[in-house]
Amino acid sequence: MLKGHLDMIVLAALSSGPAHGYAVIQEIQRRSGGAFELPEGTIYPALHRLEQAGLLSSRWTTAESGRQRRVYALTKRGTRALSDQRAVWRRFADAIGDLLGQPGHATARPGR
Amino acid sequence: MPQPGPVADYLGRLERELSFDLPLAHRVRQEVEDHLWQAAAETGDSSFEAQRHAIRNFGDAREIASQYAALSLLRQARRSGAIIVLASGALYLAMKGRIAWYGLMQWVLSDHLQPVGKIVLAVDRSAYILAFLLGAAGWAYISSRRVAPRFDAGCRAQLRRGLLLAIAATCPMLVSVMADTVVTALRILEERPPVSIFLIPLLSIVVEVAFAAVLVTALGKALRSTLRASSLLSG
Repeated sequence: MLKGHLDMIVLAALSSGPAHGYAVIQEIQRRSGGAFELPEGTIYPALHRLEQAGLLSSRWTTAESGRQRRVYALTKRGTRALSDQRAVWRRFADAIGDLLGQPGHATARPGR
Repeated sequence: MPQPGPVADYLGRLERELSFDLPLAHRVRQEVEDHLWQAAAETGDSSFEAQRHAIRNFGDAREIASQYAALSLLRQARRSGAIIVLASGALYLAMKGRIAWYGLMQWVLSDHLQPVGKIVLAVDRSAYILAFLLGAAGWAYISSRRVAPRFDAGCRAQLRRGLLLAIAATCPMLVSVMADTVVTALRILEERPPVSIFLIPLLSIVVEVAFAAVLVTALGKALRSTLRASSLLSG
């Protein structure tokens, strides 16, 4: 289920500002309270895919260690896509919440 | 010079798995190297055990390469499809431009070249139409595919279909370019007109050949990458 929403999760993690892959993973773990267990390497193909789709931009920077570091940022299109996906997710979550919150509806019908 | 150890070994393995796309392999290696050293340093040291821990959390090199392959190979196949459509447009404009120029210059084929010209032009027209239809079908097919999560059997089948359509379109397109080249060469060699007259037809042929060369190069690269990824990442 998590993989199906990976793009949205990555976009959301970058909504607070540009970050490199490792920082994106840390941000996902921080915001989710460590709920998502995903091989960290899976984030990088997702970042690459989102960049190809025009939702992210990226550039090389030099880290304090002297190593090359790729930093990603949301593009305008990416910000719009995240906003759309948030709206869809909220509608979905509300619908599921309503459904699960009213168990009487599911059990009343067979007795009629 | 990378320090020997688990991280260096892992990066070497990942780069080999990605060797179907060398610029991508280089980029991913740099990016992952930074990640692994940072993750290892988070544990307080860069011992082999810390490096192994960072690698375990990162995931299997082949699985990660497989996810990149699905994206990279689809992009290459799409590029080939787009070049076919562009080349079809360029060939059409070159052919129409040449015919208009012949009309303007009142340059008709000599009587003894007429039979050959008719046959070659018929072949040219049929080959061009076939190339255009197959190319458009291939481009529409590959453009409408979603990026697969990994380079699995479904992804390979999609790429195979897209590339087969691209090859099927490229062959008649090359026939069409060759036919145009032959007819134009015959005209020029037979009539030997002044440079100012044959320069436009010659340039139109150069444009056709250039587009054909770009197409063959792009398609060859996409094919080689797909075959290499299949041999590296299958099984």
